[in-house]
Amino acid sequence: MPIESGKSATPSKRSPIRRSTAKAAATSSETIPHSNHTEPKSKPAKASRSKPWQYTKRGYALARSFQQLRSQKLASIGTLLVFGVTLALPALILFTASSLSDLGSRSVGEESITAYLTLQTSDLDGASLAQQVQLIDGVKEARYVSKDEALALFYAQTDIDEGIDVLGENPLPGSIILFPDTSKLNEADLKALAMTVAKSEGVDRVQFDLRWVQRLQAVLNLTRSVGWILASFLTLTALLVIGNTIRLELLRRQTELDVSRLLGANKAFLNRPVIYTGALYGFLGGCIACAIALFALHWLREPAVSLSTLYSSTFELVMPTASQLLLVVLAATILGVFAAIITLYQPSNHFLQNRRTGI
Amino acid sequence: MIQFENVSLEYKAGKFALIDLNFAVPAGAFAFLTGHSGAGKSSLLKLIARLEKPTAGNIVINGIDYNRLKPRQEPRLRQQMGLVFQDNQLLHDRSVFDNIALPLIIGGYRHREIKNRVAAALERVGLSGTAQENPLSLSGGEQQRIGIARAVVAKPKLLLADEPTGNLDAQISADIMQLLMQFSASGVTVLVATHDIGLLETFDFPRLQLHQGRLVDVHPGRSAASQQNENRHVRHREYV
Repeated sequence: MPIESGKSATPSKRSPIRRSTAKAAATSSETIPHSNHTEPKSKPAKASRSKPWQYTKRGYALARSFQQLRSQKLASIGTLLVFGVTLALPALILFTASSLSDLGSRSVGEESITAYLTLQTSDLDGASLAQQVQLIDGVKEARYVSKDEALALFYAQTDIDEGIDVLGENPLPGSIILFPDTSKLNEADLKALAMTVAKSEGVDRVQFDLRWVQRLQAVLNLTRSVGWILASFLTLTALLVIGNTIRLELLRRQTELDVSRLLGANKAFLNRPVIYTGALYGFLGGCIACAIALFALHWLREPAVSLSTLYSSTFELVMPTASQLLLVVLAATILGVFAAIITLYQPSNHFLQNRRTGI
Repeated sequence: MIQFENVSLEYKAGKFALIDLNFAVPAGAFAFLTGHSGAGKSSLLKLIARLEKPTAGNIVINGIDYNRLKPRQEPRLRQQMGLVFQDNQLLHDRSVFDNIALPLIIGGYRHREIKNRVAAALERVGLSGTAQENPLSLSGGEQQRIGIARAVVAKPKLLLADEPTGNLDAQISADIMQLLMQFSASGVTVLVATHDIGLLETFDFPRLQLHQGRLVDVHPGRSAASQQNENRHVRHREYV
């Protein structure tokens, strides 16, 4: 009896069925004849058009991810554009951060103290005073600008030279421009130096323009902070966009996931295409973000140069380096993977836990 | 071999899908699992495929004690089984070849081996020329045969079929049964859940009858090998 029921229903180990099992397992499957009622098609069997690498576990996952992008072209392009545009601002902030930092530090580095001399001070005394100031500790350079030089500069830089001509004589005083060593002196030392110079004989007043630098730096810091906060929100948005796309993709592929699970796929096999899809979205989105940011930088570069020229500055927006571009693409890819993992493992996710089966 | 010892499955408190099942199906046997809708056929198949866990009792399949099975071992266990569904569960976004290749990809087979095995499986089910076609372009019977090819391509020791002829007409059902008998004759244990009276009357295989979750009758029947030796055409005509 080939089938048994009851509490001691273990079949005999000497059953002929068992022997035939072993024999059959050793024989090739091709030896079994066809059913008389099946009608073989006339065309010969062909190998699949898919590439051999697509039949490895990782290759299969990658192929599924690419196929998803291809099969949902418009939706995928839309998602990629949203992701790219969303990441473009953080990328732009990253690219301009170095230029802005450079602007801030350069402003402090080139800070100078201008000591205006009294009108009675002669060029000889002024030059002598500049030499004395040069000897003060922390002064990198002291340059005397005579009355005539000051007038020449005034003519060169303004359009109101006729007003000066009306006065008949040069009203501009001589001055000493001090370049402190900012690597040694802090803000308090700079103030003390300015006070010392102000007390020197022949010095009328001292102009100390550190405040605008501080203001500039404060503005830059604020801009940077606002930028990073904005970038964080946008990054979170990008995460949600990818997560939502993957969620929809999982819903679309529910049957495939169920069938794969029934055929013995483990969690890694089921999750891999999803994670690859996230990475693919991240990578392509990162490339789009870089392209948009580069375009924006290129577009902003000219106005930035024009603005800095107005302030006699040499500031310019530097184009990002290859490593910066790679960093953005890598970060976007990681973001995509992260979004996929969150989607796969969030508590409310029933895609992989739910055991809906065809049985 | 399929062995159930005092197996019960309780879905909700007091609501049993299966109650105290004790039976054994030897390796290489062909057996029917019968009963009305809701009798517990699908639940029993789910227990064998480890898609559900029994609330009581023990199951041993091909020497594997399910009570000692760790969750991470379950996928490997399923790789050793072939599953045939009523609605064939083919994936329509890929070719017939890729559908049949899926269990082999999951199993980590090499491309050359996959090619050979898929070609052999297609030949066995008599659909060699359909490798590149989409399953949707095939008839219902052909799709079911592709489903069977997918189930056997990894050479499983156990084939579970849940109403494999449910959506098919009598002639195609007979074809499918002949195909399953061939696999049984080659040593694969085949368990077919069905409530098709015509099928049960035509093929005198061992039969487990369920009623409201209980095993109410065990019909010994005859082996697939002995029935294959008989005139299949006569049997086929009788059924059709």
